[in-house]
Amino acid sequence: MPGMTLAVETDKLGKRYGDVRAVEDLSLQVAQGEIYTFLGLNGAGKTTTIRLLLGMVRPTSGTATVLQTRVRLGSQEPWASVGYLVEIPRAYPELTVRENLEVARRLHPGTAPGGVSEIIERLRLAEYADRRAGTLSHGNAQRLGLARALLHHPRLLILDEPASGLDPAGIVEIRQFLLDLTREQGVTVFMSSHILAEVARLAQRIGIIHKGRLLQELTMEELERNRRRRLLIRTSNTEAAHQTLTSAGHPAAVLEDGTLELKAASAIDHPDEVNSLLVMAGTPPTHLAMEEEDLEQYFLRLIGVSGGAA
Amino acid sequence: MTALADMVWIEVRKALRSRVPLFTGTMSLFMPLGVAFLIFVARNPEISRKLGLISVKADLLAYSATDWAAYMRLSSMIAAAGAFFLFVLVVSWVFGREFSDGTLKDMLAVPVPRATIVLAKFIVVAVWSAVLSVIMLVIGLLMGAIIRLPGGSALAILQGSGLVLLTACLSIASVAPFAFFASVGRGYLLPVGIAVLALITANIVALAGWGGYFPWAVPGMLAQGETSLTAASYVVVILTALAGMLATYYWWMHADQNR
Repeated sequence: MPGMTLAVETDKLGKRYGDVRAVEDLSLQVAQGEIYTFLGLNGAGKTTTIRLLLGMVRPTSGTATVLQTRVRLGSQEPWASVGYLVEIPRAYPELTVRENLEVARRLHPGTAPGGVSEIIERLRLAEYADRRAGTLSHGNAQRLGLARALLHHPRLLILDEPASGLDPAGIVEIRQFLLDLTREQGVTVFMSSHILAEVARLAQRIGIIHKGRLLQELTMEELERNRRRRLLIRTSNTEAAHQTLTSAGHPAAVLEDGTLELKAASAIDHPDEVNSLLVMAGTPPTHLAMEEEDLEQYFLRLIGVSGGAA
Repeated sequence: MTALADMVWIEVRKALRSRVPLFTGTMSLFMPLGVAFLIFVARNPEISRKLGLISVKADLLAYSATDWAAYMRLSSMIAAAGAFFLFVLVVSWVFGREFSDGTLKDMLAVPVPRATIVLAKFIVVAVWSAVLSVIMLVIGLLMGAIIRLPGGSALAILQGSGLVLLTACLSIASVAPFAFFASVGRGYLLPVGIAVLALITANIVALAGWGGYFPWAVPGMLAQGETSLTAASYVVVILTALAGMLATYYWWMHADQNR
């Protein structure tokens, strides 16, 4: 990303635990103001990457730079401008929601005392403000975790599965909240997720991680282009239709239920011509549909997990 | 300084909101109360006869605490052993709970130096333990007066109180490494286990004649009036405290934090 100010940059970042390679050779860049989502299955290396970015674990190779500051274990910088959420949010169970936020405020010197009440209102925690954190539902504990991350008005948010535990309305609300933060205040969001629908609605760029390696980085537009499409056709005479298509240079596969599947660009880009061809040959389609590989199938195909073949 | 004051505020608030001060406070009340009760039983044969096994233990204690001076020595021994365990519990909770509750991660990527966070925890542990020691001393003195121990001169009581407090101070200093054990063990089990081991070893080492150089034997030897203690014994305890604090700080600074 030449000329762009980077909020997060890793260079051949790696972390090993004995023989286990949790993260390997990870190089990525996140521009300021961008929403970047790290997509991967459980155990893919998402949380380890986040811990590496936050200086909680020491890399065995490579470097991480956050807000133009090289990340070092035990360092105080650049954390005044970073809000984060790692794995399941935990709070001091014996303290109230307000007291937990007061603890977070004091851990970020310079944050105004009024910030606690403000973030309680913004994240709709007012009803629970004086309740002990140990009695909160998972969803409200997640809200408290997000409140703690946002309390000191960070320029960068590093969020590990921020939608986890939230109900559908909560997911929509937090998504909108994050979008507003990036649009109105230029906040950068680096988040991990395994919820594909969530990624599609929020991210501007996606990094796909599998078994500790970054398989692919792509924008949402590139993702759209990369998704496989296929033309599915059913006729009353499958065999004749198949022969017609093959002779016309449209290779087709016959699926188990007799549906003809065409993947070649010539057919996908001109379904109208394929339709005319079959009508002329006396085997008009009873069903003709363009099917696009969904995000989930694309992801599974990319990481080579069964179920991904469209 | 503001950051340290804020970190101390955080630790105090966490402690006051938990049940641990109540538990340790109650324990520090019961230790002198129990001792005074046993002495009281031993000194009253009509009660002693009704209590069977308790009266046997009471007799043993009564023989070792026949007057104020001996009673205060006994209180010092409690500060060396019983209170030591209480202090280990305090330090294990203050440090270990961040791991067992999974709250440590929220203290790591913050603009406050980790040294300040660790120092604030040690300050709270020291003050908390000192308060427990004073409770034990005050209750001990009150109970001594109530059961009307003989030999209660101002000097004996003052000297005895000094011995109790000095023993407690050495015990408090000697628990600093348990913050490191709680951090490495990520909870309470390791420090409590090592505390048991340390006291057993202290007895063996003391029997072998090397107790003066074993930090967890020194407070007990002081309480027992051992004459083999030298200035080096106190230096060993102080060095143990410093080593414990440094090891804890080093671990918080440099170890991978995966929880």
